[in-house]
Amino acid sequence: MPLDTSSYSLALLRLDGRRWNELRRIHAQISTQAAVDGSSYLEMGNTKIICTVTGPAEGRRVGGGGSGGEATIQVEISVAGFSGVDRKKSGRGDRRIFELSYTIEQAVQTTLHTQNYSGSTISINLHVLTQDGSLLAALINAATLALIDAGVPMSDYLCACTAGSTTNTASSKGAPRPQAALPGLSSLDEEADDPLLDLNGLEEQELPFLTVGTLGASEKVVVCIMETRVQATRLEEMLAVGVDGCKRVRSIMDSVVRDHGKRMVDEG
Amino acid sequence: METTPVLPGDILPSELIPHSTNKAVKLGPGLRHIPPSTVKATISGTVTSDLRKNAIWIEYNGGRYIPTPSDLIIAQILRSAGEHYTVQITPHYPPALLPHLSFEGATKKTRPQLKPGDLIYARIAAAPKHADIELECFNSQTGKGEGLGPLKGGMCFDVSVGFAREVIKGRRGGVVVLEELSEKLGFEVAVGRNGRLWVEGGEGERSGGLKHVIAVGRCLQVCDEKGLDERGQRELVRQVLKGL
Amino acid sequence: MPREVELSNNERDFILGALRQGLRLDGRGQDVYRELEISFGEEYGVVDVRLGKTRIVARISCEVVAPYPDRKFDGVFVISTEFSPMASPAFEVGRQNQDEIILSRILEKAIRRSSALDTESLCIIAGSKCFSLRADIHVLDHDGNLIDTACAGLVTALQHFKRPDVEVQGEKVTIFTAREREPVPLSMLHHPLCVTFSYYDGGQIALLDATFAEEQVREGEIIVTMNRNGEVCQIAKYGGVAVDALAILSWTNMALVKVQAMTKVIQARLKEDAERRDKDGIAAELRADNDRPSERPHG
Repeated sequence: MPLDTSSYSLALLRLDGRRWNELRRIHAQISTQAAVDGSSYLEMGNTKIICTVTGPAEGRRVGGGGSGGEATIQVEISVAGFSGVDRKKSGRGDRRIFELSYTIEQAVQTTLHTQNYSGSTISINLHVLTQDGSLLAALINAATLALIDAGVPMSDYLCACTAGSTTNTASSKGAPRPQAALPGLSSLDEEADDPLLDLNGLEEQELPFLTVGTLGASEKVVVCIMETRVQATRLEEMLAVGVDGCKRVRSIMDSVVRDHGKRMVDEG
Repeated sequence: METTPVLPGDILPSELIPHSTNKAVKLGPGLRHIPPSTVKATISGTVTSDLRKNAIWIEYNGGRYIPTPSDLIIAQILRSAGEHYTVQITPHYPPALLPHLSFEGATKKTRPQLKPGDLIYARIAAAPKHADIELECFNSQTGKGEGLGPLKGGMCFDVSVGFAREVIKGRRGGVVVLEELSEKLGFEVAVGRNGRLWVEGGEGERSGGLKHVIAVGRCLQVCDEKGLDERGQRELVRQVLKGL
Repeated sequence: MPREVELSNNERDFILGALRQGLRLDGRGQDVYRELEISFGEEYGVVDVRLGKTRIVARISCEVVAPYPDRKFDGVFVISTEFSPMASPAFEVGRQNQDEIILSRILEKAIRRSSALDTESLCIIAGSKCFSLRADIHVLDHDGNLIDTACAGLVTALQHFKRPDVEVQGEKVTIFTAREREPVPLSMLHHPLCVTFSYYDGGQIALLDATFAEEQVREGEIIVTMNRNGEVCQIAKYGGVAVDALAILSWTNMALVKVQAMTKVIQARLKEDAERRDKDGIAAELRADNDRPSERPHG
């Protein structure tokens, strides 16, 4: 069902009442599970994730291992059947899920100081409870928090969020858009389609978006995934908004960790 | 030396087989003796014979390297375990063993410490059919290294197995690239019969070092891929040197 | 058992050292592709693409099936990838490795999700009959940059392929063989191509069309899929060392130039092949859409 994005241009408010540069509510807890080394619970709007981390521990020796003396990272994602709008049973061989876990594995590998733990395994288990957009971003953030809880050294927070663009995809379909034929017109045109921060599930279905993951508050991009077609000219502002969003996500995650630390100190 | 092309199953004409009264004929790779006096080819290639050694074999280029005793090879350390290194000769062959003490002048304390991924120039000491292949980096009779041992720096280039054999033979094998190149460039080469060539630029010229190594490697690979004859090789070398 | 080929320390250091001096082993510049060689098979939709030593065969085939019940107006389009053990000792038959899944995901996103192929045009009768298109990608030799090669191969094959012509009269469907009626080319909306950047030293050095050895020493890669109209169809940077956001933008600009150049090569080869097949110049007359323009569903 097509989403009516036309109302956006009138009030400049999105379906859920946010403005273009507002994040959804992020709520996070760490140390939620006692039985594992590190755990976290993260909500980004209605996307809810539980993450548990075991390790670094002596892992099963995979044949021919010992690759460069780094820790192996295993990521397992389970998507609950009730998490989406329609109940779907995702098989084990789901490539989309594999891609998500591959992304997290690769991103975490460079952020963590894995060379300290040669021959050991860090396993990250992610459970998706509900999904409402920005799934990959929420998974990355939850994994970061749980890894911090597990006490694995890392260079900085790996934080992620999505950024979209209200560009009407239909207008740019097929034929190339006349590029700056009339400077006045194109600037008008660009005003009409704003970049958006932190898309929810409905917006994700309709609009082109990308997921950015940065290293802390820097502008260094670790993860950048885009799956929808968009004019290359829109990319710049989408990335800029995304990177900016990551900074805000980082400060929220940082306060969660600090609060937790404070509580631990207070409780002795 | 004579060369005649044969196909698998061909019976070798008796005039090709060296006849010597005092020595028995030695059959090399690709030949099979069917008593009483028939010799059949088992692989396609060119019949090559050495009258002095009274040997005959089939020269062919193709397929994977099959470890054979006393071949010189360039291998890669996989890991160190107990008394020996585990070494990879080709990705298609199970790892071989290189005892820690099989180096020139090695004792328990002075043996070379090699990391996974390091390259060594070694000789195949034994290649039994049903056990691990064993390597050595010294001559076990004299205890001398004879140029074998760890390879430091440089670059390794992959070529076909047949070409590696030709390079070892040099001019007799129809390869003059290295000679031609060495007139203008200074470099060091190790040729492994497993189809690997190690090239290291001279110490002196730091700036041209890498460039020269790349040039040498490319010359060798082009010769291999295009199967250039001597004139073609000279032409190639001339062009490459001009490019530098 | 064959093992994965791992680069020796000597090669690793040498390649990195050379890259820092701006040298590549094959003498290319950092932003230069190997020559893209394309040849076609006898049948429509069989394409053999080589990029240096990397070689891929793409084959398109189609049959008539019932469409998925939830997508009554769409045809079926499947992309399947297969890594043959002859390409690299690391590939095993029957076991999918990570690269293979990633390759098929990228192709899926680059071509299917970006709706390069108009799947609605594959529909014959809504809800009961449609064409099922299958693209098989076979990797025959692996010397780096599989993704770009596979994508170019697939896009070329899709443009080369012709499906049998059909005629619908009420519920009755006639499918004509190539002898009866000239087959019909697929309707493509745009032609996406992948450009993979391999980077080193935190994004300081970015290589295009890395060879297998160069891929093994890279810090990370970013795969950008674009079409010649300047639309980005897909970007994938799965982790790896962090790079500046600005670098990503400048790479997409570079990707566009490369995509336009590659598209030109592909179009030229397709044209050559079409001319070769059309010796007597009668293909234009035989084209099925000459006489019945209205009957095929247009998407």
